[in-house]
Amino acid sequence: MGFLDSLLGKTKLPEAKTDSLFAISTASVTLEASLGYRTDGEAGVCIKPLESSRYEAARREIEELLNISIKDTGTRYRIQKDEYNYIWVLLSDPDFEDLVTGVQMVSEVLIENGFGTQLLAAVYRFQGEAAIYWIYNFKQGTYYPFVPKSGRERDTSREFRLRALMQKEMPVEKDESRWYPMWGMPL
Amino acid sequence: MKRWKSDRGLEARMLMTMFLLVLLYSGFLAFLYTMGVNQLLIIIIIAGFLFLQYFYSDRMILRSMGAKEVSESEEPRLHEMVRRLCQNADLPMPRIAVVRTSMPNAFATGRNQKNAVVAGTTGLLSRLNESEVEAVLAHELTHVKNRDMMVMTIATFLSSLAQIMVQWLPFMGGGSRDRDSGGNAALLLLVAAVVWIVSFILIRTLSRYREFAADRGAAIITGQPSNLVSALKKISGFRVPTEDLRKVEGPVSALFITPALSGSSLMNIFSTHPTLEARIEALQKIEMELEA
Repeated sequence: MGFLDSLLGKTKLPEAKTDSLFAISTASVTLEASLGYRTDGEAGVCIKPLESSRYEAARREIEELLNISIKDTGTRYRIQKDEYNYIWVLLSDPDFEDLVTGVQMVSEVLIENGFGTQLLAAVYRFQGEAAIYWIYNFKQGTYYPFVPKSGRERDTSREFRLRALMQKEMPVEKDESRWYPMWGMPL
Repeated sequence: MKRWKSDRGLEARMLMTMFLLVLLYSGFLAFLYTMGVNQLLIIIIIAGFLFLQYFYSDRMILRSMGAKEVSESEEPRLHEMVRRLCQNADLPMPRIAVVRTSMPNAFATGRNQKNAVVAGTTGLLSRLNESEVEAVLAHELTHVKNRDMMVMTIATFLSSLAQIMVQWLPFMGGGSRDRDSGGNAALLLLVAAVVWIVSFILIRTLSRYREFAADRGAAIITGQPSNLVSALKKISGFRVPTEDLRKVEGPVSALFITPALSGSSLMNIFSTHPTLEARIEALQKIEMELEA
């Protein structure tokens, strides 16, 4: 954003970055081999709705787009709304490569069809000593760990450990003040 | 004695700093000798002072911090935790004290392993979770294990002498009769000032290295470097956000104040502790070493 734009208050919403989305694919190997976290084949893409009244229209549009483009891979998906009225595209595929490809495809399709500024996050779940999530923030183009405990508490020690061990493998958000949790995700 | 895999680079830097201090102090003593200062008397006074400091520092520090020693029945959980850590670190059980303040912090003192005291504030015990408190106590116990009180007391030995000279020479110099001794006094003052400043920087450097070593020890005793990272973050007032991403990104978004963490690099050479960023980076390296 240029100085003149700021001066005139012409703020542009940042475009979604998908360049680093694929990094989770190679990182998952280390995650499983040395840390014992396995994918359970579940991932989700979270989309911010424009207005709640447009939810149905947006949902139908997304569904149609995905119906055309995702048919040929074996990835199953469903669309769901959460308590914040955000739209989730939930994907499941036992093959992690295909799952990542699915998430990538969903994001690309949504960006191409003008949902780019509304793409919030892509989330992957892994199971090990605890259920952990890697959240990809489309605006920052980075991943960060999220390990929820009961009662809206998070296991920060485990999150810091995940960062220490994974930051060579994938772009992990350096600024922890951006590690916003996502409570009660539908996946 | 139980030993753990050490950080050669850190050890080398520590030795280098101590070597420079010895060099500086020997030079200073040699200079005092050529100036004909009655050094024996001064050294006896300083040594006596340091001896007192060394033997009574635990009581002095505990009193100045307002720390109250707690018994096993008063703080059973804390005693249990420290006992477990001491077994891991092969240390005798220290006395335990608590300071009533909401500021989360901890310290260790005592002239040797048998007379050590480890203290934590009530803020530390209430704000940090169990594994984080354990990491902080392990850090303090590593100070005890590494005999940091003794090392730092010895390191400050002649620095204190130089400091006293800088503070008192300007008043004593006026009494001399001949011009020559006036010039000598000025030279003495100048050298003492230089020794004071240089030794001060070296001592603080050494102190920062001892902190890195204590962090390392804590990481190895607990086997969980990230617990200390989490604890250091909390102590410095930082918290990983608890507000949901969807709320933050929602239609009504607030203005957020992000803390500026980086301090000026010039001030760093005078501080007793390394920066938070440097400590966390070192701990992350240890995490990768432990995993390898």
